Amino acid sequence: MRRSSSPSLWVGLGLVGLVVVMALMSFLWTPHDPTLVDAAQRLRGPGTDYLFGTDKFGRDLFSQVMVGARTTLFVGVVAVGVAALIGTPLGVFAAMAPKWLGELVMRVNDLVLAFPALLLAIVLGAVFGADTLTAMIAIGVASVPSFARIARSATLGVMSTEYVLAARSAGRTKTAIAVRHVLPNIAGLVIVQSSVSFAIAVLSEAALSFLGFGTRPPTPSWGRMLQESQELLAVEPRLALVPGVAIALAVLGFNLLGDGLRDRYDPRLEVRG
Amino acid sequence: MVVQILRRALIFVVSALVASAAVFGLLAVLPGDPAQVALGVSATPELLAKTRQEFGIDRPLATQYFEWIGGIFSGDFGNSYVTREPIGPQLIDRLGVTMWLVGAGMLVALLIALPAGVFAAVRHRRASGSVISGLSQLGVAVPGFVAAIILVQIFAVDLRWLPAGGWTPPIIDPLDFLSGLILPALSLGLVQGAVLTRYVRSSVIDVLREDYLRTARAKGLTPYRALLRHGLRNASVPVVTVLGLQLATLLIGAVVIERVFVIPGLGSMLLDAVSNRDLLTVQGIVLVLVLAVLLVNFVVDVLYTVLNPRLRQAS
Amino acid sequence: MKRLSLFLLALLVSGCSAGVTASAPRDPGAITIGFSAEPANFDFTRTDGTAIPQALLYNVYEGLVKLDENGQVKPLLAESWTVSPDRLSYEFSLRPNVVFSNGSPFTADTVKFSIDRVKTAWGISQKSKMDVVSRVEPLSPTTVRVVLSRPSNNWLFDMTTRVGAMFSPDGVADLPNDPIGTGPYDVASRNRGASITLKTNPRYWGPKPAFETVYLRYFKDSTALNNALLSNGIDVVSAVAAPDSMPQFENDTRFNVTQGITNGEVVLSFNGRKAPLNDVRVRRAITQGIDRRVLLDTAWAGRGELIGSMVPRTDPWYTDLTGVNAYNPEGAKKLLAEAGQQNLNLRLRIPNLPYAVTSAQVVKSELNKIGVGVSIEPLDFPAVWLKSVFTEHDFDMSIIQHVEPRDITTFGNTKYYWGYDSPKVRQLLADADRGSQEQQVAAMREVAATLANDAAACWLFLFPNLIAAKKKVGGLPLNQISEAFDLTLLRRAGS
Repeated sequence: MRRSSSPSLWVGLGLVGLVVVMALMSFLWTPHDPTLVDAAQRLRGPGTDYLFGTDKFGRDLFSQVMVGARTTLFVGVVAVGVAALIGTPLGVFAAMAPKWLGELVMRVNDLVLAFPALLLAIVLGAVFGADTLTAMIAIGVASVPSFARIARSATLGVMSTEYVLAARSAGRTKTAIAVRHVLPNIAGLVIVQSSVSFAIAVLSEAALSFLGFGTRPPTPSWGRMLQESQELLAVEPRLALVPGVAIALAVLGFNLLGDGLRDRYDPRLEVRG
Repeated sequence: MVVQILRRALIFVVSALVASAAVFGLLAVLPGDPAQVALGVSATPELLAKTRQEFGIDRPLATQYFEWIGGIFSGDFGNSYVTREPIGPQLIDRLGVTMWLVGAGMLVALLIALPAGVFAAVRHRRASGSVISGLSQLGVAVPGFVAAIILVQIFAVDLRWLPAGGWTPPIIDPLDFLSGLILPALSLGLVQGAVLTRYVRSSVIDVLREDYLRTARAKGLTPYRALLRHGLRNASVPVVTVLGLQLATLLIGAVVIERVFVIPGLGSMLLDAVSNRDLLTVQGIVLVLVLAVLLVNFVVDVLYTVLNPRLRQAS
Repeated sequence: MKRLSLFLLALLVSGCSAGVTASAPRDPGAITIGFSAEPANFDFTRTDGTAIPQALLYNVYEGLVKLDENGQVKPLLAESWTVSPDRLSYEFSLRPNVVFSNGSPFTADTVKFSIDRVKTAWGISQKSKMDVVSRVEPLSPTTVRVVLSRPSNNWLFDMTTRVGAMFSPDGVADLPNDPIGTGPYDVASRNRGASITLKTNPRYWGPKPAFETVYLRYFKDSTALNNALLSNGIDVVSAVAAPDSMPQFENDTRFNVTQGITNGEVVLSFNGRKAPLNDVRVRRAITQGIDRRVLLDTAWAGRGELIGSMVPRTDPWYTDLTGVNAYNPEGAKKLLAEAGQQNLNLRLRIPNLPYAVTSAQVVKSELNKIGVGVSIEPLDFPAVWLKSVFTEHDFDMSIIQHVEPRDITTFGNTKYYWGYDSPKVRQLLADADRGSQEQQVAAMREVAATLANDAAACWLFLFPNLIAAKKKVGGLPLNQISEAFDLTLLRRAGS
């Protein structure tokens, strides 16, 4: 049942790689300064000088997309990092702790699930002033439950395997078992979840920046580029198309990568998440 | 099974209470003095103090919380700091609008996902099935507000078939209501439909592999008939779970869509209240949204218990 | 369970009643106008902001006088008035047979009630505009005398704004929800987050307005507002807030487009209370470092006018001051060096409004060119901006459109958020208020020139009045310089 696993893995890797390369390259070089206002170059069409043309400030769209990739990845890495670093140990703990405690942890976990990223980010933004940081934290916190759930169910599986039972009867401490046996065995699933969560983070960041609760101007962000392009949609649809396609490709990339990794890791599980 | 459901209900109630405290606590630290905002910039200290007292924000936080939560049980969400009107009735009004939107979005999603998912599953080894899968992957990757912007540009601005935004209640004019609902519902539903398609496909594939279905097909039933007769209930278990999660996503997705389409639902009420620092209103809306998500999860849990034959036997 | 089912029923029904938005095009006597800022309630005596007077002033509430689109004070509820030679007392003859929409008569006593009430019951900052009134004396039902404590040219002008609105003593019980005035329209219903419906007031003293029903619809998002007109959802966009989209309307035969001016000065304000912007050289450097033509062209599609000071073209003391502290990046760098501020980093804390967010990005780019670092912080408007910038003065620079008529006088208020303190300007403003009309104009000219020279702020541009409307609507005001969107001006095209 391996049929389509390879293509999605490779296409996913390719798209994600493209975003990563663009983001990394933007640290060293962009065709133009992405925040430099130049009235003379206002609303130029695509060409050799400006690959995707310029926006109403005369800023190069391609350079903005490159730096925007950086913003997107940054938000994704921090948000998913927060979620994985909190969620995974929490899930492992919930599986290995006494039943009532594990149950309690998962109930609290479910409660966090009721605060979606967008809602959390709007409230956090209202409290602390909206910027990239509040968006990252909100998306990260909102993604904790899915990691905890995956980690818990995977840990429960690992705990009933023979080698863990053997380790327990040999008197190993729970911490040692968690580090030695559980974490390496659930790492694959956590990575799969990271890829899926990354896609969600990209979407959330875009939506938040679109609403004005994300990255502050003039730092390029795909979501804000879309928001700024709106008034010119009828005249210059390219301004919306470029960031729109960038978001879609990045999300597609991370989703495909997640699927591909899942198929490789556990062919039975297939598309689920 | 009854015990299971009662347990779930208890969890729901406790979660709701904890959530309300969390919402209150989070917003209690919001900067910006509501009295100052209401009165403008050069209000006198005396007037400010009087207004603070009028709003009840000069009392200890715990008192404020218990009074707030006590009021909510009787549908009283307090009076807005900005409009000085009761929040409750307006909240219900706006929730009603959002529910229409979410319901219509869900309908669109199901209308897309059920046929497409089953088709993709039955033909999952053929090209046509893969095309559907690929399309659903693409659909998942398009943010709802991008879909909304594109739909508005095409169907409202260019073709002028449908309104670009606004809201007409069904009682006032059912036709206007429907035409105004189509684009927002599509924006919400297309993306969710794509997500759902993938789940429908994978759970139907799982069911197709089950022995009883192979038997049914061996008896000469077409895959669709076999599914219809024997498989749908089983396939529906994971789909219902996801549907619940999707409902929550739709509810939040509606915040953005309402902004694009200028629909007076909970989402636009929330964004307005946040920028006016209408603390009590923000609190009320966030609580209602969180409770709605918890409630959906609870209903999903109950449905899961009822639908899943294994769990039923276990209890 | 009963409660639950009641709740569910309420939900369904209310889903039906919330946000009744107009389907105006089908009703020939109706017109639908789109706005961006929605009134929080109907009480402008206690709630600040421009949205409430925009909807209600001249339409629901009327004052003794009104401001026309050329900035002239014109009679409204007063048919005429005389000013005493010492310019301390104003005698108004009132229009007879005027009644409020609740049936109460409008008389000299009502005028006294309304003006006195500003001091006693109003809560917003503008109430101080009536501080100069020492007493109001009804002489007969249709004659009233207002005595000032000192001569004030500003007072009569201020009577055209919201503080001059006339209220009925038995009509102020529920101002936030039930406004009662003498105007041509009456609030029929409102749907929060969506619209307000005005219907003609059958008791109105003047000629019947051209449109029986007016739907005021509110769109927070400027693109949504534009799209509503493009898709025939509304008849008028009261103010196009996405200027780059104007060609959409100009190139479409369905619409008329007008471009005039407002009195909204988009100002890059400096915090003059603290270093480094308390140094006039730094303020001049920043002003000279920003090419305002480039800013207007990129941020606002070149629509609007450049102004060199806090005076719109419609004020009698307008002079072209754009040449003062004109764009000169080299000079700016020199000034910064002189002030010892080569490594300047400034916090630009702006309201999260479209014109501010776009202008800020140009300001940052321009100032980077002269070596000044800028960090842009958008704040929720109004709440957070008002608190931290306007009230607590926690900012270096901000960008805000100052929309109040003749708000140049704020530079005489040392407590105002500019932190600008010039005894000369204060003296000139006081002289202008007290003096004859000629003296007023001369003094105000000097105020404007002093402010420009001092770089008390950097005036980015004067906000344009961009209106797009269906061809069927005539009488659209070219300029928008009063606080009101005056519905009485509207006509059916061709009639």
